Amino acid sequence: MSALSLPAKLDLSTVEAFCDAIRARKGGDLVLDAGDVTLLGGLGLQVLAAAAADWRQAGHSLSITPRSESFDNALTHLGVTLNDLQSTEAA
Amino acid sequence: MSNDPMAEIKASFFVECGELLESLQDALTDMDEGAYDNETINVVFRAVHSIKGGAGAFGLDALVAFAHRYETVMDEVRSGRLEIDHDSLKLFFHTADFLADQVAAARDGLPEPDGSEACLQELEALMGDALPPPEEEDISDFQPMGLSLDLGISDAEFGDFGLPPQLEDMPDESAPWSLTFTPSSALYASGNDPTHLLRNLRDLGEVVLRCDLAALPDFDTLESQHSYLSWHATLPGELDEGDIRDIFEFVEDVCTLELTRTSQDARAETTEFTLPDLSDLAPLGADPSSMAESVEAGPAQQADPAPDTPAPAETPPPAVDPPAAKPTPQASPNAEAPGATVRVDLERIDRLVNLVGELVINQAMLAQSVAEAGLPQNSKVMTGLEAFMMLTRDIQDSVMMIRAQPVKPLFQRMGRIVREASAAVAKEVRLRTEGEATEVDKTVIERLADPLTHMIRNAVDHGLETPDIREAAGKPREGIITLSAQHRSGRVVIEIIDDGAGINRKKVLEKAISKGLVPADVQLSDAEIDNLLFLPGFSTADQISALSGRGVGMDVVRSAIQALGGRIAITSEPGKGTRFSISLPLTLAVLDGMVISVANETLVVPLSAIIETATLTTEDIRSLGPQTNVIHVRGDFVPLYDLGAELGYRAPKSSYEGGIVLLTAQDNGERSALVVDAIMEQRQVVIKGLQQSYGHIPGVAAATILGDGQIALILDPADLVHNASGRTRGLETALAG
Repeated sequence: MSALSLPAKLDLSTVEAFCDAIRARKGGDLVLDAGDVTLLGGLGLQVLAAAAADWRQAGHSLSITPRSESFDNALTHLGVTLNDLQSTEAA
Repeated sequence: MSNDPMAEIKASFFVECGELLESLQDALTDMDEGAYDNETINVVFRAVHSIKGGAGAFGLDALVAFAHRYETVMDEVRSGRLEIDHDSLKLFFHTADFLADQVAAARDGLPEPDGSEACLQELEALMGDALPPPEEEDISDFQPMGLSLDLGISDAEFGDFGLPPQLEDMPDESAPWSLTFTPSSALYASGNDPTHLLRNLRDLGEVVLRCDLAALPDFDTLESQHSYLSWHATLPGELDEGDIRDIFEFVEDVCTLELTRTSQDARAETTEFTLPDLSDLAPLGADPSSMAESVEAGPAQQADPAPDTPAPAETPPPAVDPPAAKPTPQASPNAEAPGATVRVDLERIDRLVNLVGELVINQAMLAQSVAEAGLPQNSKVMTGLEAFMMLTRDIQDSVMMIRAQPVKPLFQRMGRIVREASAAVAKEVRLRTEGEATEVDKTVIERLADPLTHMIRNAVDHGLETPDIREAAGKPREGIITLSAQHRSGRVVIEIIDDGAGINRKKVLEKAISKGLVPADVQLSDAEIDNLLFLPGFSTADQISALSGRGVGMDVVRSAIQALGGRIAITSEPGKGTRFSISLPLTLAVLDGMVISVANETLVVPLSAIIETATLTTEDIRSLGPQTNVIHVRGDFVPLYDLGAELGYRAPKSSYEGGIVLLTAQDNGERSALVVDAIMEQRQVVIKGLQQSYGHIPGVAAATILGDGQIALILDPADLVHNASGRTRGLETALAG
């Protein structure tokens, strides 16, 4: 299992590097640390949702923990649930 | 330059804020002068609204909150529910000042300015309690939509969800709103983010929101900066369409926005899909569903909006291909259309200015080489060079114009200083501005702000009398400070004129003597007494007031003006007022100069300072005192200065007969004659500052590089004369004579 921290601001300025980082961890279970997130933008949401689908398809788990209050609020503002961004599949 | 795209976009937002604040001040000033028409009020409203909208996109919550409350009050004015009077206008100005502070605080990451809340509460108190709550106002403002477009939108909209189109169903005015928002990649690239927009949407009321993930590709093929998501929302029917669209106003050309009222039947279905079970959503990674296709294709399928269709029913253009002529709902038919502009990084302009400077030097060197080659005047090289010189001149003028900016924003800042300063000392003051469109180099404007602020404060505090004293003197209670700018012979002259009591020369002289600045028995002319104000540490205020007497005097002002290559002069008339004239160069980069030679040194005198040149005869020269001469020029006597002696190159000459003089004028109208050995040519020279390396050199403004590569000093005749000894006769000569 590998772990990766989300940048504090997951938006245009950071999304490319974050996407590359998460791709580099394909093929195994992954825990994302969203404890420091202050801003989750639309582009960041896309990457998380697409990654979760990929992990689900591959049968690996992807979880987001811990999560900051800002991160949880952003999910509500963006009209998604945590389930959209996680994979509960076990390898 | 920063490489962070977000930082650049944000910086550009703050530049726009500056422009919006400027138009806000303009409109308020118009209102102050009696223009209460709808367009002027709208300008105020739109400026505040635009700042709010932009701030929302960057998550600048404090600025959004402040602007929102200001906007709400201005909306009351706009709708005619709130009457404008002198007091409310004063508050609008005051709030605009605070808004500018809020913008500055947001830009610089500073805490919210003190007093913001008190200011807003004072402003909101204008509305009283009798007014209806905002929701009711929205309903009363509601404009029914055109039918034809609704049908088109409904078709596309409901088609997305496989719902019956219900084309025959007329939406009623209380039906909930259905909104589909699809940002394009350009929306993200421009620094906006749905997060902020959707949060603002949620602030409007109870919103049921769902993110549509169906268009997401496989993670492997996902491009991280490409936009794939769209959002569907249902909003309460009582919301005003304008308020909903306003949230997306700044991104309307980089997103697809569909907003319709749901029909009765559709509403029943809507209730189902607005509270979806998320597990029912299309699985990720699946083939993009028809939903996404429909969203993309939606606008194209819609009926073409008729040109005269009311704005609320207007369909935004597809995001991928914004039309050239984007509809701007806020543009008034009477409003002056601004010229097309492009923002350019200042660093690039400065580089261009430097390059043009080098071009001018090179062109001068080339001209010198051609002259030395002894080619005939009508040769092709000579004519070609002449055309080249003219072209260089044109390029130079054009480049300088890029750096030039109107003084208007600077003058507007002074409006605020007057408001604050007059409130602090309980005086009634009105600021009049003239020549706001006068353009000056950007650096000059920036560096003029501090000295001007100080002078305006001085004018309010010392220059103008209290209302009671004015009334007793037969003047209006309200004092007038006039701030004007105009171009005058290649320079810009800025004047600060008050209609106060004028300089109390007796008091000034007494003060100067008591402070030991001048000897007790000194005999000074009025102008000399006035100039005592510029002595370091001088202050006429008997008591330190809220504004003045903080140890920063007019000497600091004069130093700042001199550092800009400018001069300051003062004239005053007892009982009528005081006038400060600041004369500044238009640009800090080039000047037209006369190249002269003195004691084998090549020097440049700014052409703007020279009135005429002359050759001296014995009859022209008269002696005055043991070591000084004056010359007789058309009935006047003008002091004679030997440039070579004043600059320390040589001793005064024994005779000036046949000598060449430059007659120069100063800002206070005084003239002086400078003796030079020879006039070589007139030419434009590129200014190379010496201030940074050598500090202020008396009599020398800067340096330049001539065509032969030689460095020449550029003189400041006024400063030179100010510091001159005036010796034009050696002591021996004087004794012998």
